[in-house]
Amino acid sequence: MRRQIEIGLLFSRAGSYALIAGSGRAGALQAIDEINADPALDLTFIPVERDPQGNIDLYQPLCAEILSATSARHVIGTTTSWSRKEVIPTLEKAGGTLWYPCPYEGFEASDHVVYTHACPNQHLVPLMEWALPRYGRRAYLVGSNYIWGWESNRVARDLVVAAGGTVLGERYLRLGDTDVSRMIEEVRATRPDFILNSLIGPSSYEFLSALAQLRQQDAALGAVPVLTCNVTECELPAIGAVAEGLVSVGPYFHGATGWPGDGQVFESSMEAAAHVAVRTLAALLAHRPGAEALSLQSLLDRPDDALHGIDPATHHLTLPSLIAEVRDGRFKVVAERAAVHPDPYLSRRIEIRPPDRPSLRVITQ
Amino acid sequence: MSRGLYVPNLGGARAVIVHRPHPTVAALKRQLGAIGLSVEACWPELPASAVMADYIFFDVDMGHDSQFPWKPGDAPMPMIALIGSEAPGRIEWALSQKAAGKILKPVGDGGVFSALLIARQTFDARNAMAAEIADLRARLSERQTVVQAVMLLARTAGSEERAYDQLRQMAMSWRVTIEQAAARMIAHGAPAAGSRLRQK
Repeated sequence: MRRQIEIGLLFSRAGSYALIAGSGRAGALQAIDEINADPALDLTFIPVERDPQGNIDLYQPLCAEILSATSARHVIGTTTSWSRKEVIPTLEKAGGTLWYPCPYEGFEASDHVVYTHACPNQHLVPLMEWALPRYGRRAYLVGSNYIWGWESNRVARDLVVAAGGTVLGERYLRLGDTDVSRMIEEVRATRPDFILNSLIGPSSYEFLSALAQLRQQDAALGAVPVLTCNVTECELPAIGAVAEGLVSVGPYFHGATGWPGDGQVFESSMEAAAHVAVRTLAALLAHRPGAEALSLQSLLDRPDDALHGIDPATHHLTLPSLIAEVRDGRFKVVAERAAVHPDPYLSRRIEIRPPDRPSLRVITQ
Repeated sequence: MSRGLYVPNLGGARAVIVHRPHPTVAALKRQLGAIGLSVEACWPELPASAVMADYIFFDVDMGHDSQFPWKPGDAPMPMIALIGSEAPGRIEWALSQKAAGKILKPVGDGGVFSALLIARQTFDARNAMAAEIADLRARLSERQTVVQAVMLLARTAGSEERAYDQLRQMAMSWRVTIEQAAARMIAHGAPAAGSRLRQK
């Protein structure tokens, strides 16, 4: 007799970041199907879905509803850091756990959250260490006007300045806003060596599109590279041809074999991270009757080698750090680090930023 | 776009928690560990190694002066108050310890990182200000010496204004403060007209 365990899914199916949320939702649902079909397990996951529709004010009530109206104690989802922070107090009150499957800006290690995607020492720091010697040290920073954009650009600024570079400009757009004209004018005026783009969804698509137009009008601007920590394959169709040359960083790109491993192929790291979340939860609950009611703290109160890769101090994962460039409409990995230990507070900077950079391997294709 | 906040390198920093065994200690240890600090909890006595800690978290509910191996307010590192009862007497005691940050109990899921940053900045700013005030005080107390030196110099310089200007030039060439130059000059006696003072 398999244990029937309800788990919450909290992904927006509408709104400015629906593509990212949809990718995570697909990964979670796929993992649930696999687990339910696995004869070696003693449990069946029953998804309890709520759709906040990209409305920030719906996350908290819908999360509370999952935790009060059903027996679910684990919720997979939220996409923006803003929505994750909205639901944490609710999780604290109800003793619930959130499995958060997106890259984020770090400086958090909640007792009620497992972070299955990358934090800055796994995305932004390796990306900047790779980019600064290649492209130059004059940076232009853009981002969406909330904590992801702000903190990503703050860390980027620190890294650029520490490398002796300068930040030529830093501009923000409200989530969903597509008026990128000022940013484009500033890029034209300042001619940066590279642009770090932490815009989300349509703002980002519009920026990339306007930048492509600028390149056509202004050949001297050349191929000013655009870097991002949050664009994955799930958004490439929406961005279209102007994504060409975009450089991204993440623990996984379509077809990568290192993580999550097991020969499984995912559309994007967003899908992979949500899949890993469900799979890891299943591994923690399997053959432990009653464990589904435990708090995360109790669930993880076991030897480190039984935590399925979750760092007990930070609840983050050790992840590869892959840098990939869009070529012919697909991400091609151009550099990788195999396993980067999570450091969400960037407090182990000396370890992660050695003076030389021997750990980056260049892949020629 | 100036950089406002200095983020100290917390990886490998040491924190000591002065609190009786309690879930508060476990919650603090978890947060500190996640940030990257090493943590030691103690109660009621502080271990000798506490003087080498980078941060002290101390219980305001049960704490008292004699627990600490320094005079109240003289801790050589930032002190962060763990406040349960907000009774004025207890707040007063926390302030007498010159707490540079605070966290309210019960300690939950957050609060430690911001407390660390705020305490570090407050502590450093307070020390810098204290050093500046001590320096200004010392210079103030040397006013008499400066007046004496100017009077001595005025005998040969002709006017107090010229004497003061001479003293200032001496200080500049010796690379010392005006007060130090004045003290040195008095110790050597007034120079003869046109002669140069040699640096001791």
